[in-house]
Amino acid sequence: MKKYNLTIGWLYPELMSTYGDRGNIITLQKRCEWRRITTEIIEFDLGFKEEDLKKCDFLFMGGAQDKQQQIAAKDLMKKRNGLKRAIEDNIPGLYICGAYQFLGKYYKEADGKIIPCLNILDFYTENPGINKPRLIGNVIVEINSTRIVGFENHGGRTYLGKNIKPLARVMKGFGNNGIDKTEGVIYKNSFGSYLHGPILPKNPKFADLLIKLALEKKYESPIDLSPIDDTLENQARFSIAKRLGIKL
Amino acid sequence: MNSLLILFGNLFSKASRFLNLGSGSTWPGHIALFLNSNFIKELLNKNKLKVILIAGTNGKTTTSKLIRAILEKNNKKVFQNTAGANLLNGIASSLISNADFNGKIKKDFAIFEIDENTLPLILEEINNPDYIIILNLFRDQLDRYGEINTIAEKWSNALKKISRETTLILNADDPQVVNLQKSFSKVFYFGIDSQKERSTGTQHASDSTYCPNCNTKLTYNFVNFSHLGDWFCKKCGYKHPQKTFTSFSFYPLVGVYNKYNTNAAVLTAKILGFKDTQITDSLKKFTPAFGRQETLKIKGRKVQIFLAKNPTGFNETLKTIFNLNAKNLLLLLNDRIPDGRDVSWIWDTDLENFSTQFQNITVSGDRTFDMGLRLKYANFKKFETEENFTQALQKALAKTRENEVLYIMATYSAMLDIRKILTGKKMI
Repeated sequence: MKKYNLTIGWLYPELMSTYGDRGNIITLQKRCEWRRITTEIIEFDLGFKEEDLKKCDFLFMGGAQDKQQQIAAKDLMKKRNGLKRAIEDNIPGLYICGAYQFLGKYYKEADGKIIPCLNILDFYTENPGINKPRLIGNVIVEINSTRIVGFENHGGRTYLGKNIKPLARVMKGFGNNGIDKTEGVIYKNSFGSYLHGPILPKNPKFADLLIKLALEKKYESPIDLSPIDDTLENQARFSIAKRLGIKL
Repeated sequence: MNSLLILFGNLFSKASRFLNLGSGSTWPGHIALFLNSNFIKELLNKNKLKVILIAGTNGKTTTSKLIRAILEKNNKKVFQNTAGANLLNGIASSLISNADFNGKIKKDFAIFEIDENTLPLILEEINNPDYIIILNLFRDQLDRYGEINTIAEKWSNALKKISRETTLILNADDPQVVNLQKSFSKVFYFGIDSQKERSTGTQHASDSTYCPNCNTKLTYNFVNFSHLGDWFCKKCGYKHPQKTFTSFSFYPLVGVYNKYNTNAAVLTAKILGFKDTQITDSLKKFTPAFGRQETLKIKGRKVQIFLAKNPTGFNETLKTIFNLNAKNLLLLLNDRIPDGRDVSWIWDTDLENFSTQFQNITVSGDRTFDMGLRLKYANFKKFETEENFTQALQKALAKTRENEVLYIMATYSAMLDIRKILTGKKMI
């Protein structure tokens, strides 16, 4: 059997990891390891070299507190072109919550102040003001026919532009803005989402899709992943779905 | 007016206890505040008792109980807000149940544990507390409390408005806590010395490793856990306070985090004028608060309950029972409001460091399978999932040998539930 290897770039593991999003990295690593696919994690901290992004077969960035997010954003702005190149070049990536928002055009704060974002993807985010509640709770969304279970907790409402597609349709919960039933964004092989939980452990199909995309991009051939016993993963999914009255 | 509220409140409590309605504890306060929003202020101004407020993410209950133990062993009369009732109505209720018809409270001290979100509200009501103890700030129940920078900012603004006569007792090892104090003259610091316990790798869930002053990454001479340690900022020079109370001759509880709690309590007692011998004597007779390392016996086995409700508390508890050579573990994860509805935080714990420690692990609670999944991805090979609490406890006990201890780590509501089963209020 051919020996596969994936290099996963984790953007700001220390700053951008407040909501358990590290679980996504752990899940990718483990699901590769169980299939004898070796992984290497490159941690990109403040001041990292832009060209090192090119070493990565997959990129991940999580959400954080506002203050931490500002520190990371200031640094990432300087490497905007490197990240844009990776995204345009079909390098698969998962961007959660704050990281997702940051890929858009701008973030309008509660007091109306506009914070420019990376402007890589066609969407923007607005915080409707301190009197409007944060969107918090368990959430189930559907990507094609696969249902994804997670937890959302965000103040910003994201509105997608005409040139971009949502990742999923909301079945229970709020999603991008609580109104249009869209959740997240998909562009080439990049995925943005508000879902914590974290998203990957309880949604093994989605996790495997990301692994497959990364391998196929790297090795330029179709790859079938060997199955893994997902009993526990499914029990965790089902127990939430049951509570929310949604069939998976 | 207040006399009537007190009379009514006490009658209400008695009636609800008599009728076994439960949860009667905060209603009198709720009604009193509804009818007189100045109730707390007026009652406290009428009495000469000393007020001690305790805030922080972890350790409030234990620290309160430690201080109370020292005070009571030295013949002071103390009252507290009851367990879990750390919102305004809980505090008003505790005043009602300790006051006579004229609003007189015949006590020397009031100790109030304050919830993160409530501290600013309390400081509006009680704007001249004698002592405020701030233990730490960790990420906890982000869906309920929000992010810690937001909490720190709210606290800082609230502290600006209170009397400068208040004495602050702060954790020097937590940069964000130190940063809360800018203009108080009576400030005392506690911390702990560098810990040379078995190292279990670095911790992921560190919250405040950036300078609260200039946002530069802080440098540490040593880290005790999470972001607590001897810190300084290379850029702006902001640093750990020099004069800090860091060690005492006797610690009644295991765990590094309890050294912090004990030092906070001992420092408070010292400020109040108690001698070391008086403090030590009281601490030697100390019994833990419920669910905080409380030991119970069931079916000839010792069961010890540890509340673990956020990544830092969870990691520190794991480390503590690891050092006690724990073999048997029951993990209980609930996601009700007092637990935090978001269980993502379990992925910020460092379970990976403990994958070979336990022979017998049982997992239960509302989020049994989420915790099971976390164990699976942290390389744990042998563990059992059981959604039913009672059955999970039975299974865990059955696998615990005689003379061994079953350690239970539980989120808040799970801790209350398992305790009910263990103490026989729900029959096993």
